[in-house]
Amino acid sequence: MAAAIGSSIGKSFARLESRDKVTGRADYTHHLRLPGMLYGKIFRSTLPHARIKRVDTSAASALEGVYQVVTIDDIRKVIPNPYYGPAFHDQPILADGKVRFAGEPVAVVLAFDKRIAEEALGLIEVEYEELPGVFDEVEAMTSTTLVHDELKPAATFPDLAHLKGRKATNVALDYKLRRGDTERAFAEADHVFEHTFRAQQVMHTPMEPFVSIADFKDGQLTLHTASQGPSFVRIEIARLLGLPENRVRVKVPFLGGGFGGKLYIKLEALVTALSVIVRRPVKIALTMEEQFFMVTRHPCTFTIKSGVTKDGKITARHCEVVWNGGAYADIGPRVTQKGGFTSAGPYDIENVTINSYAVYTNRPPCGALRGFGAPQTAWAYECHTDLIAQALGIDKIEFRRKNMLREGRPQASGTPLRDAEVERAMDQVLDRLQWNKPLDRGTGRIRRGRGIAIGFKGITAPTTSVAIVNMYGDGSCGLYIGTVDMGQGSDTVMAQIAGEVLNIDPTTIRVIHPDTDVTPYDMGTLGSRSTFHMGNAVRAAADDAKSKIAALARELGLPEGSNVPLSELLRRRYGMQAGNIIGTGSFIPDYEKPDTETGQTTKGTPFWGVGAAGAEVEIDTETGQLTILKLINVADVGTALNPMAVRQQLSGSGIMQLGHTITENMVFRDGQLTNGSLADYKIPSLLDMPVEYINEHVPNAYDKAGPFGAKGTGESTSIALSPAIGNAVADAIGVQIMDLPITAESIYRALQKANGTPLAED
Amino acid sequence: MKIAPPTVRPPALCMKRRWASLTLTAWGVCSLHIVRGPRASAKGCDLASFELLEPRSLGEAFALLDSDDPAVRPFGGGTALMLMMKAQIFKPVRLVSLRLLGGPLHGIELAADKSAFRIGAMTTFAELEHSPDIRAHLPVVTQTMLTLANVRVRNVATIGGNLAHGDPHLDLPPVWTALDAKVRIASKAGERTIPVQELFAGYYETTLKHGEIITGIDVPVRPKWTSHYAKVTTRAQHDWPALGLAVSAQFDGKRINDIRVVLSAAVDRPSRMKGAEAVLRGAEIDDAVLSRAADAALGEVHIESDLRGSADYKQHLLRVHLGRAVKALSPRGDQATIQRA
Repeated sequence: MAAAIGSSIGKSFARLESRDKVTGRADYTHHLRLPGMLYGKIFRSTLPHARIKRVDTSAASALEGVYQVVTIDDIRKVIPNPYYGPAFHDQPILADGKVRFAGEPVAVVLAFDKRIAEEALGLIEVEYEELPGVFDEVEAMTSTTLVHDELKPAATFPDLAHLKGRKATNVALDYKLRRGDTERAFAEADHVFEHTFRAQQVMHTPMEPFVSIADFKDGQLTLHTASQGPSFVRIEIARLLGLPENRVRVKVPFLGGGFGGKLYIKLEALVTALSVIVRRPVKIALTMEEQFFMVTRHPCTFTIKSGVTKDGKITARHCEVVWNGGAYADIGPRVTQKGGFTSAGPYDIENVTINSYAVYTNRPPCGALRGFGAPQTAWAYECHTDLIAQALGIDKIEFRRKNMLREGRPQASGTPLRDAEVERAMDQVLDRLQWNKPLDRGTGRIRRGRGIAIGFKGITAPTTSVAIVNMYGDGSCGLYIGTVDMGQGSDTVMAQIAGEVLNIDPTTIRVIHPDTDVTPYDMGTLGSRSTFHMGNAVRAAADDAKSKIAALARELGLPEGSNVPLSELLRRRYGMQAGNIIGTGSFIPDYEKPDTETGQTTKGTPFWGVGAAGAEVEIDTETGQLTILKLINVADVGTALNPMAVRQQLSGSGIMQLGHTITENMVFRDGQLTNGSLADYKIPSLLDMPVEYINEHVPNAYDKAGPFGAKGTGESTSIALSPAIGNAVADAIGVQIMDLPITAESIYRALQKANGTPLAED
Repeated sequence: MKIAPPTVRPPALCMKRRWASLTLTAWGVCSLHIVRGPRASAKGCDLASFELLEPRSLGEAFALLDSDDPAVRPFGGGTALMLMMKAQIFKPVRLVSLRLLGGPLHGIELAADKSAFRIGAMTTFAELEHSPDIRAHLPVVTQTMLTLANVRVRNVATIGGNLAHGDPHLDLPPVWTALDAKVRIASKAGERTIPVQELFAGYYETTLKHGEIITGIDVPVRPKWTSHYAKVTTRAQHDWPALGLAVSAQFDGKRINDIRVVLSAAVDRPSRMKGAEAVLRGAEIDDAVLSRAADAALGEVHIESDLRGSADYKQHLLRVHLGRAVKALSPRGDQATIQRA
């Protein structure tokens, strides 16, 4: 089925906000100053795990210009139970008797001059009783060092209710999936392969660091915040303050990048508490360096075991996935479930066992980051795929084809693959890599290789989006949505959808940015859901407006299909330029909750995110230096509503994942981050781009449940990229790298180990 | 010499404003003084207030710097200092800009007989990069510019500030060392000149004494020498080097008549590897000689693990890149490259 192409859909409109951004006119929370506003600076713990014996703020309070120094004791007076979190109410607004990671907020200094606040931080003294720390996720599974005394699941996630009150464990959540009889299948398999892969801790690194302003007065709170989820912020802050939702207003302008980091509660609870205490607006803006202590991506240890027949059919797979969630759960339990859900890969396997664990450690908290666990699991299952094919002497592509999950076949959870172009995406990568032509493998110290990988992800469900289309008296249109434009181009694409339905030029539509007093509910701008969920809601709202316009025409006695413009209809109806047509729409996908014991469900995901990647690499075997000659990303995006915006998203997500593959790594020593600055934590620059970098979508793909056949694409190229590079490296040098990131040193070490002359461990 | 009394100015609202007022008065004849205003007046700025002074003569500069307070510092372009200030590592009380000192601190001067360069300490990297004389006689310097920082930094950073910073990861100090450059240092007592290498005492430490200012460097033009700088990065390509390797040699046919081999970044200061030089001096380049030179180099430097690589790996990189750098010398002339690992 081909995409419905009208006047707006399928066209590469330039971003509506481009000019404002390029000329520096776009609004960001960082720009905002309110009258009488105080700045807060955060005093952070220097130890990864310790009991707080004493916090002495007297010298800091005495510094001229300091308004107030706030600790948890002050916060408790206004918020008696000062714990928050989307999955577990485990995170105190400021450290409460204990610090659980080095960098955790312990106190805040408030001043009208942020430099004075900064200076006063140096005068705060904290006496700690140091506790043993646990940092590695596998160790934490069985460690007697406990990060939390008791699990405290939030009521908002009913499926976590059974964990309430659980003690003496660092395991916050154990997700299980059971399909078939894995043990018997292993026993009957001709070959069994087992490998353990690791992914490192990385950070979102948005160019706009976290920033929030709270303004509490007359029993009402207004939050201006760089958040991806204003509706969630309102619900959670209203809960903390014991206020109804209509007393909490959350406003979000453009974001300078979010990537999953700016979801749920970040600085919002803290600035709210501070504003309630001092009854003044309070702003906290983190530095780039402080971002490392806010939220990061889960390190992951994944042991994957497969049973395979002689002729290369995978009959059994066991996935043991351990997620290092850091000190606070954030949305980690959902990452554990969703990452676990697809951890057996896009393969048709009769017998699957998946155990996926969210584990507390004394590291900075980990949460959602572009891909929501899929990049870490694909790293393991796709490198594993190549290793099996290699060991069996089967062509790597044929091995994938033989086992590939195809349209209509149940995935490990029982949810059938639907509208998911896994094989076409792979074929497109093979074509662009010219896979059927022989590769120049290099000579001497230079070795070349190529590799591919495929991957998929499930989408967080069930989630809701609501949209309002408001047609004004002159016929112009405002679109009221809670989707946050954080650089992905959602304003433009949503305007295209509304414009398509209403037959108006999308560039004339005004998209009203999230303001919970004005814009309706949206679960959040996350997990590739906006185009699909909000897109469907916008389409429904526009359809609703359209039918109301038709009803008005009928009411005015006009014949069906008459061409009288809306402005004229309203003028006739109200006698002057007046009135509105308000269309509303909401969307929640079809969903069936998985069985708690088996993880089985027939409707586990609203759609399938699909990505394939290919890489051609060159390695200097004398030093391990890696050059990526070619990098190909192909994604199934359904209908490309805006092909240029799609390509930009695929490319941007690919570059981000490239960083997570070859340059980025948060390095810890005894729980202390040793490279917490952009001088020492290296995101890729232009010089690190592959020599040839191609990003494409599968043409003529169509998701029947998406708006005009579209699905989300913000994460598609984050999934298969790392294993494609890992497999290409292995193809070049004959050694598989098991741990991310793949660096010159890790390649050289792997080579030396294979040569029997290993370098000393560092 | 007489120093004008401090002029008290109304508290500026913000650093931006201060820079504006500085521009306006910089044409005046006396040194400019900006006195710290009440702290609360500068909200919205990220830096604590400090005094910024722009003396017009070395004598004035020495007087303004005559303090035991380590928070009183001279600066050239300020690119490194600003990073330290933003990171709260350095909180200045008084900064003395050397940019209006004029005369001997500025300019790239090639001697009439073309035997040497005299380069002022306040010469910016961009001035070096675009100087036809430097390109003609010290091409390795021109080429090194393309491996370091970025256009904005090169437009501001000065060679004197770069030397005084003492950061072992910087790219120019090993190059100057390999070129046999000398640094000129002035104080109230007069001027002294030392080889660049002797300026460095350790990690971010120099041998500059209290009250001393770097005024420039003298670089000999050695027509028969050829040089190479290899900036070896191991993570992102644009990064501080895991090791910097500057090599400069004079050939007699295929034989190395004389050579300088300087290692930086992997060690606490740019260091001549004299053992390696001794192996190479008088030798013709082949793999056996290079291997012996690498053995000697590894024997004379102490390399520690850091974020850019383990000690073992960086030792291996030194072995590989020493060989490659020496091989890259001679027929093709000077080169500087970013070598990834």
